[in-house]
Amino acid sequence: MHHFALTIIGRDRPGIVSRVTEILYHMGCNIADSSCSILGGQFAMQLIISHPEYDRGEQLRGFFSPLEEENLSVFLRTLRPGGEKRSELKGDLCMVSVYGSDRPGIVYRVARELGERGINITDLNTKLIGSEQRPVYVMMLEATLPPEISVEELDRIMARVREDLGVDVSVRSINPVEL
Amino acid sequence: MAVREILLYPDPRLKQVCRSVERLDDEVRGLVRDLLDTMYDAGHSVGVAAPQIGVDLRVVVVDVSHSKLGRDDNHGCLVMINPVILETEGSKTMREGCMSVPDYTGNVTRAEKILVQFTDGGGTDRVVRARGFEAVAIQHEIDHLDGLLFLDRVSSLKTDVFRRKNR
Repeated sequence: MHHFALTIIGRDRPGIVSRVTEILYHMGCNIADSSCSILGGQFAMQLIISHPEYDRGEQLRGFFSPLEEENLSVFLRTLRPGGEKRSELKGDLCMVSVYGSDRPGIVYRVARELGERGINITDLNTKLIGSEQRPVYVMMLEATLPPEISVEELDRIMARVREDLGVDVSVRSINPVEL
Repeated sequence: MAVREILLYPDPRLKQVCRSVERLDDEVRGLVRDLLDTMYDAGHSVGVAAPQIGVDLRVVVVDVSHSKLGRDDNHGCLVMINPVILETEGSKTMREGCMSVPDYTGNVTRAEKILVQFTDGGGTDRVVRARGFEAVAIQHEIDHLDGLLFLDRVSSLKTDVFRRKNR
């Protein structure tokens, strides 16, 4: 079974999911994984889809042209076999949350500290909250720590970011419990 | 007695509301033994409910005393027959996993302190005040008796349900 990464984005309005899934259903596609959300007024759909017969993106693209006519942007990429599977991640899980006055570079600075140490970001969300006059930037991310880095050490690393950027950063360990 | 096989979702037996235990007879005593054997055999488990081994009776066992999160504040091994939560207080969010729902964990918010009434394995009526991880574990197991899994308690699939990463 071949898998494809499909991204669809356009100004939010009712009926987008219905239109997209109608097309996928009629094509005979299976939705393996998906995440859809409103980002700054745009409805963004990210899907991993599969088809029992088609193995090249070009065979599928034509099906989505009605969406382009409805002002939705469509991107499709063919995944290499196995590319649809999440990589095996070892190490402790932690959640990093950042709150602060909106200013450029918050995400970059935090992500750079993590990336340089081989800390894998597995989920990231940002939002602007607060008033229009005093916007507050919120970022929450989930990351897997390599064995040589502890949550306490990451907290120490983030203390510098806290100081440099003047933002609140909290790091907490996530321990999934088996009940 | 015996280590029993844990049923996996979507087995319909995990979604049924269990019957109250009427009499503490040999069948129930055997069930309690099996639940304890199954829980301790799993090693990392801190609780098992009867429907997880295919029995539709209101019986759970909980023991958080060997877990890092629960060892400082617990009642040891609890056998709970017909458990009822009388009072709840506060809230606590933990990322829960369940032997019946492998591969996924989810953020679930539950009461931080509970007062729970039950009949123990010896047939004595007891009331226990539990807090923290033990309280969470008891609530998770009692949910099983009403056909509820942690997946029924998460509020957002996007932010609250995660594919298990360390297995």
